[in-house]
Amino acid sequence: MDKALYLAMSGGVQTMNAQTIHANNLANVSTTGFRSDFEQARAMPVYGEHHPSRVYAMTENPGTRFAQGDMIQTGRNLDVAVAGDGFIAVYDEAGQEAYTRAGDLQINAAGQLVTGRGLPVVGTAGPIFLPPSSNINITADGSISIVPQGGAANEVAVLNQIKLVNPDKQNVRKEEDGLLHSRDGQTFAADPNVQLVSGFIEGSNVNAVEEMTHVMNLARRFEMNVKMMDTLRDNADSSARILQRAT
Amino acid sequence: MNSALWVSKTGLSAMDKQLNVVANNLANVSTTAFKKDRAVFEDLMYKAVRAPGGLSAQNAELPSGLQLGTGVKVGATQKDFSNGDYNMTDRQLDIAIQGKGFLQVLQPDGTIAYTRDGSLQLNSQGQIVTSGGLVVEPGIQIDRDAVDILISEDGVVSVRKTSDADAQQVGTINIAGFINPTGLNAAGQNLYTETNASGPPLVGVPGTDSLGRIAQGMLEASNVNSIEELVNMITTQRAYEMNSKVIASADGMMSFAIQQL
Repeated sequence: MDKALYLAMSGGVQTMNAQTIHANNLANVSTTGFRSDFEQARAMPVYGEHHPSRVYAMTENPGTRFAQGDMIQTGRNLDVAVAGDGFIAVYDEAGQEAYTRAGDLQINAAGQLVTGRGLPVVGTAGPIFLPPSSNINITADGSISIVPQGGAANEVAVLNQIKLVNPDKQNVRKEEDGLLHSRDGQTFAADPNVQLVSGFIEGSNVNAVEEMTHVMNLARRFEMNVKMMDTLRDNADSSARILQRAT
Repeated sequence: MNSALWVSKTGLSAMDKQLNVVANNLANVSTTAFKKDRAVFEDLMYKAVRAPGGLSAQNAELPSGLQLGTGVKVGATQKDFSNGDYNMTDRQLDIAIQGKGFLQVLQPDGTIAYTRDGSLQLNSQGQIVTSGGLVVEPGIQIDRDAVDILISEDGVVSVRKTSDADAQQVGTINIAGFINPTGLNAAGQNLYTETNASGPPLVGVPGTDSLGRIAQGMLEASNVNSIEELVNMITTQRAYEMNSKVIASADGMMSFAIQQL
């Protein structure tokens, strides 16, 4: 059999993977703080005891786009968006520090400050717990000030500070939980220059038109791969016919 | 089959839910003390086809892997308990809570529900009830010959009768506050019930403990901003259209493959 048929098939399969990445970006066009994923294909030659003529394509997502998303005004005190570069530190399901741009914070029943997904926000010393309060404000540097329950309006107490980091983008990677993690497993130090804006949340940074274009482009690429398989079958048919004994 | 189909399907159903939330907000734009909802989107887990940092050959590490996202879901709806506008009505039994608290009302099953809808009325026994007919806790009885009902900022209800020059105190309205009002269960009819997430209610005198003061003769309007909801509606519709376009594209790929091969 002609090995080219398998090459064309793997091209089609990898194209479908690539389309899934763009479909996922588009599905998350409204997800708070979502960062879109890139997709690329890598040429993978097959080495062995033969001439390395076969080169398979391999789709991978080499990185995440860190461009800023739209700032959406909500006016809610606990909604914060990172202005410019930087991330909000949270604890992932395993208790490890991870990073996100989704700042739709809330307070759970235990009085803990968590993200919209329920992940605890990292403070100066571990998770952030807040006492009952009549007013909560988060300032630009992540400091949380509250007016305690029953307190006068001028009795402002600064309680804790949200850990904000600004690592080298080369050293962060989106993992299976959709959160950003450090590539080498180290936690990043807090950066005092990262600024928060309260009353806003950051939308997704997915560029919908770009993603649509990619999806259409990939559909055509898939069709080319299928056409290739079709052509190869024709070739196989022709060669089989030539070899048939003329009766 | 093409997993892009399933991913876009999650996009469609999430946008559908978002539209539902927007429609409900807009439908309640005139509901007294209605609190708007917001759909909270989250990306679903990623399927690691090839983990980043894996080996492509004995000594060659792949700099990046292949992680395929599996879509999006509406993880929660969040009630925004910010105050709505206050409207003067000058009706004696209309009260608005200026602050974070809730009125307590007794449900038919004996449990307490919480509401911010202060359009109160008297029932046939003279008890103060909500417009839904539920008795405000603690129960307050108003005599038949009362001319004026006065509700003070701190919840003291007093009545003035024709026979009397001075007003007499007949009861007090308490207010309940919650650590996390977003965790309350919205029971409909402007009522909320306590859950584990909301925490137990902190009941107190209005005006203390940041529970909010009572303003007589006013009603709190819905906090829905109709312009904002309309913008949400448009973006939701466009996102829906784009997800369905991806489905069409993925379907086109499959049908082409099936026809050609």
